[in-house]
Amino acid sequence: MGTGREASVSLDGVRDKNMMQLKKLNTVLFPVRYNDKYYADAISSGEFTKLAYYSDICVGAIACRLETKGGTMRVYIMTLGVLAPYRGIGIGSKLLNHVLDMCTKQNVSEIYLHVQTNNEDAIKFYKKFGFDITDTIPDYYINIEPRDCYVVTKSFAQI
Amino acid sequence: MGASLPPKEANLFKLIVKSYETKQYKKGLKAADAILKKFPSHGETLSMKGLTLNCMDRKTEAYELVRLGVKNDIKSHVCWHVYGLLYRSDREYREAIKCYRNALRIDPDNLEILRDLSLLQAQMRDLSGFVETRQQLLTLKPNHRMNWIGFAVSQHLNANASKAVEILEAFEGTLEDDYPPENELCEHTEMIMYKVSLLEESGAFGKALEELHKKEPKIVDKLSYKEQEAYLLWKLGRPAEASKLYRVLLSMNPDNYRYYEGLQKCLGLYSESGQYSSDRIEKLNALYQSLSEQYTRSSAVKRIPLDFLQDERFKEAVAKYIKPLLTKGVPSLFSDLCSLYDHPRKPDIMEQLVVEMEHSIRTTGSYPGSDVKEPPSTLLWTLFFLAQHYDKRGQYDVALGKIDEAIAHTPTVIDLYSVKSRIMKHAGDLTAAAALADEARCMDLADRYINSECVKRMLQADQVTSAEKTAVLFTKEGDQLNSLHDMQCMWYDLASGDSYFRQGDLGRALKRFLAVEKHYSDISEDQFDFHSYCLRKMTLRSYVGMLKFEDRLHSFPYFHKAAIRAIRCYLKLHDTPKSTAEEDEMSKLAPAQKKKMKKQKKAEARAKKEAETKIEESTACGVSKSGKRNVKPVDPDPHGEKLIQVEDPMAEASKYLRLLQKHSPNSLETHLLSFEVNMRKEKFLLAFQAVKQLLKLDAENPDSHRSLVKFFLKTGSTSSPTTEAEKLRCSVLEAERPSISQLQNKSLVEANKEFLGRHEDSLVHRAAYAEMLCLLDPSKKTEAIKLIEDSTNKVVQQTNGALGVAREWKLKDCIAVHKLLETVFLDSEAASRWKSRCAEYFPFSTHFEGKRSSVMPDSVYNSSLKSNENGDTPNHPMGQTELNDGQLEAFKSLTVST
Repeated sequence: MGTGREASVSLDGVRDKNMMQLKKLNTVLFPVRYNDKYYADAISSGEFTKLAYYSDICVGAIACRLETKGGTMRVYIMTLGVLAPYRGIGIGSKLLNHVLDMCTKQNVSEIYLHVQTNNEDAIKFYKKFGFDITDTIPDYYINIEPRDCYVVTKSFAQI
Repeated sequence: MGASLPPKEANLFKLIVKSYETKQYKKGLKAADAILKKFPSHGETLSMKGLTLNCMDRKTEAYELVRLGVKNDIKSHVCWHVYGLLYRSDREYREAIKCYRNALRIDPDNLEILRDLSLLQAQMRDLSGFVETRQQLLTLKPNHRMNWIGFAVSQHLNANASKAVEILEAFEGTLEDDYPPENELCEHTEMIMYKVSLLEESGAFGKALEELHKKEPKIVDKLSYKEQEAYLLWKLGRPAEASKLYRVLLSMNPDNYRYYEGLQKCLGLYSESGQYSSDRIEKLNALYQSLSEQYTRSSAVKRIPLDFLQDERFKEAVAKYIKPLLTKGVPSLFSDLCSLYDHPRKPDIMEQLVVEMEHSIRTTGSYPGSDVKEPPSTLLWTLFFLAQHYDKRGQYDVALGKIDEAIAHTPTVIDLYSVKSRIMKHAGDLTAAAALADEARCMDLADRYINSECVKRMLQADQVTSAEKTAVLFTKEGDQLNSLHDMQCMWYDLASGDSYFRQGDLGRALKRFLAVEKHYSDISEDQFDFHSYCLRKMTLRSYVGMLKFEDRLHSFPYFHKAAIRAIRCYLKLHDTPKSTAEEDEMSKLAPAQKKKMKKQKKAEARAKKEAETKIEESTACGVSKSGKRNVKPVDPDPHGEKLIQVEDPMAEASKYLRLLQKHSPNSLETHLLSFEVNMRKEKFLLAFQAVKQLLKLDAENPDSHRSLVKFFLKTGSTSSPTTEAEKLRCSVLEAERPSISQLQNKSLVEANKEFLGRHEDSLVHRAAYAEMLCLLDPSKKTEAIKLIEDSTNKVVQQTNGALGVAREWKLKDCIAVHKLLETVFLDSEAASRWKSRCAEYFPFSTHFEGKRSSVMPDSVYNSSLKSNENGDTPNHPMGQTELNDGQLEAFKSLTVST
């Protein structure tokens, strides 16, 4: 009889044929409704956007946008989330590790994201992967408190 | 051939034949014209030219030329053969056979014509003719293997299996000892196995086994060999040896149900009905216990005992069966167990078990009595199972509660939406069902199955346009709906026809139903090629199996459904003659609208004409350009308008009725329709036959009762007989009436009363009684309506205090009663009282406008305010689309364990 840990977790890319899976995840995970640009960015980021499958059930996703700045490539993590019942079994880490691997493989200079200043769990999570708070943007959010956010960044040594 | 021509032309004639065989039709045509220039009336050339033109889609010319050819040279077997081929290409097999026979009269030993004739005889099941032709072929060419085999098969089909064996044995006598050569081992195996099956069919089991053993070294299909051997041993009353073999077979494939069945039979532990004494259950249980230890990976060995085990034993076994599958996440689990719901106690046991599991997983994260932590998905699959369970039990509100919870738990599992859609369908909300099926479809655009399911739901909700758009997503590009037809997609034809029927578009509906009938005749047609192919390839067992399948083709469900629906269309056409229906419609409209209608109709007619000429043009130029079959024949009547113009709908209906009577004689519906059709045709004796069949099949069925009463009311009321035929009819009925037990010494009124007495608690029976009461005596209408309204919807007894209540009445019956009140009793007040009462029982029903159905303005499925969930409109609540603040929510409880 399997416990959670034994069940296999696999990753799959996002295409137009299965995009609704990502949309379904986002509707329950985040209070925001994302627009077309979000999904277009996600698909065009290729390997940097992944769905996580827990024994064939789609339970989480990481979605990134690729940015080029002065000839170097940056990655911006738009969303990372896992459905509540499936948290705590390493799926979020697996998703993030995959993207970090891709960053080293594709010579990405840095990867960053925005986090609300009071979201300590998230900050702790990203710090474990070598991210640091690099900036604070006041009044980033309009109608949730606190309105400030941190910019959380991990830089890669250029080879 | 071409004998009467001078050498140059004779060569040209050979060229025509060769060009025809190699499909170089243009070349053949040129050669034919060259001959005809010199000998314009040469019959065989004319015939061949016609045959060539036939392949270039110039049918009329082809027939003219071929007929002229026969006329000019009536003594030529070529002309007759060609004539036969022409008929054959148009599936006119009877005519073709006649032509071949004429050809053979001139040239009796022509092998080619004999072979062609034999194929037609096999196709038409002219079995004695088939035997004759095959014998002749064998006599003419006994050194051909195929001729021996063909003769044997013909004898077999003509119900003479032992003769077939003799022929095969004679053939074997001609073979050398070292036969067959390496490359014909498979063919030879097939022949031996066919011979064994013939011996078995003629009851000679001992000989069959002997033959099998004797030829063992030459049989390469070792699996069939073992299966056949085990079966024959059992048939010969040697169960010990047979059971040993079945165990060997099981070790090769422990998931083959037939092997288990065979083993049970050998051990004397098999019953057709699945009912066993407790003593035998004990033995069976022990058997499967030991088998399951041997075959740990087999699922059949675990599943089969659930069918025979009872009560406590069942409970234990089913729990053991269900748990690992819920843990693993097997969406088909419920379908797998669905057959157990026919049992009176098993569903209750399962409900109790799975509800306990749900509770335990919620509170402890493990199954009851276990401390192994279940993966998070187990709760999801448990809820999924329960939703289907309550759906099956008719407790739709509980089912919806479970499925909604499952969706909230894991919103990405597509099966959840499909099941929710199905629950909504059962609960009576087809619009919501279609919307949910569409939601499921959107979650995997590459899945054809959920796409098809969605199309079906849309058709059930009468959303034909969206259904067509959705269906086309998976058809070949450019060809749209035609390709659905080419694929013989019958569920689509039926569902779409049903929808048109509901919407009153009988033309389109008939079009679809008749398309299904066409598919079936195509399937029957398709066997033609196999008559020669299978004999050549020696796949004899499957060939004979295929022929038997084709013989009962029209008893298959899709045909049955289509024929029934087509007949219903014709009944409706008969009851509402076209002209009056149109006039009615017109008379209801205001004069201004009338003008508008007329204008519209004119415009439509014009558009139609234009389209038609266009089609004609395109076909004409298509042919002249290349002479190849590049243009598909265009349907001249795509909307079935011509179909509903039919002169005598009842004659059309009778055609399909005959097929039903022949192939589905045990279906109540067949005889019900026969009754309806024959009453309208005033063929009272045939109608009486239908009544008798109905009573024989199910005398207590409300519709059987209705037919009985209606029949005797009608025939009793017609004025005294005047013609001879009427007198004869009356005397037959008089003689027959006492044989109907329901009417012995009783009036119709009394018979009706007794019918009610037998079924006082059943809504459908009460409705039938009330309808007949009113029919027999219209003054009793109030009494009839009161009787219907006094019916009570009882709560079904439940053994364990389950969630919610299940009631007896079925939605479709309640809708039927509603329609009865509305259209037969014509009492709108009673109908509306009935409607509001049923709205309480069926809150999801759109028909009754239940509170939770999609017709309510606040429903999420209400089409007028279709919510655009996950819509594409950029509607960012923060105003700033760049944000990705979603992370905060998701991370609040995300604890990472690494």
